[in-house]
Amino acid sequence: MAGELEGSKSLSGLLSGLAQEAFHGHQGITEELLRSQLYPEVSLEEFRPFLAKMRGILKSIASADMDFNQLEAFLTAQTKKQGGITSDQAAVISKFWKSHKTKIRESLMNQSRWDSGLRGLSWRIDGKSQSRHSAQIHTPVAIMELEIGKSGQNQDQFRLWIKRTALCLKDKQASNLKGKYSLVFNLHNSGAPGWHSR
Amino acid sequence: TRRNCFRDAAGRLLDCQWKLGVAVGADSCKSLRSPCVTMAVKVAEASGRIVCRTFEMTVPQFQNFYSQFKEMASLLETL
Repeated sequence: MAGELEGSKSLSGLLSGLAQEAFHGHQGITEELLRSQLYPEVSLEEFRPFLAKMRGILKSIASADMDFNQLEAFLTAQTKKQGGITSDQAAVISKFWKSHKTKIRESLMNQSRWDSGLRGLSWRIDGKSQSRHSAQIHTPVAIMELEIGKSGQNQDQFRLWIKRTALCLKDKQASNLKGKYSLVFNLHNSGAPGWHSR
Repeated sequence: TRRNCFRDAAGRLLDCQWKLGVAVGADSCKSLRSPCVTMAVKVAEASGRIVCRTFEMTVPQFQNFYSQFKEMASLLETL
């Protein structure tokens, strides 16, 4: 029944289900499951376009990563549209995005990472050592164990060692990177456009 | 997660290169703005074979990676 769909009571649950399916990769959230759990009085024929509309709205908001001004403008426009949403529904969607935005963005960023990630890192320092073949191994070394792979797949592990002199150099390189990286990260956080070269 | 190739012997770090990129958009999200550090680590294995491994890191991961490096360096300095 149209009245059921216009209400906002079950909409919050519907948006959660949609987010799980569209962004967080949760399998098995079918339209029939959502209908029977949240809108049992509504027929599937009526429910389908409603679901598509809400999915479309949620995906538009997530894709544009709307801030709260953009969100308000967007939802206001949706309420004025023919076959759009009610102002109650707009309020529910707004509240949902505000509380789930960070998690949804994280999922979207993970989805766009296709190469292996660093899944684990451990290290130890070995002091002086000797061997039967060489008396020269007396330099302290750092041994790192890195675990790389993609989530849900087998991880690959490898170890490497670094002498003290080499590590100092690498640390310098890393600190150059950190400086540059902070610059980029601040641009990202503040939303300031453009790039600045150091 | 299962560990696949476990190498007992540690290889010698030969070189460590990095690349900083920002994914501006993707099909799933047109406004992504996701910074990502890619590292390429060249290692000489005990057998003599030289391998290059690449992996990506997010901002928090890189910050952790960097602070681990600093900790290793300062500990190594004391020896």
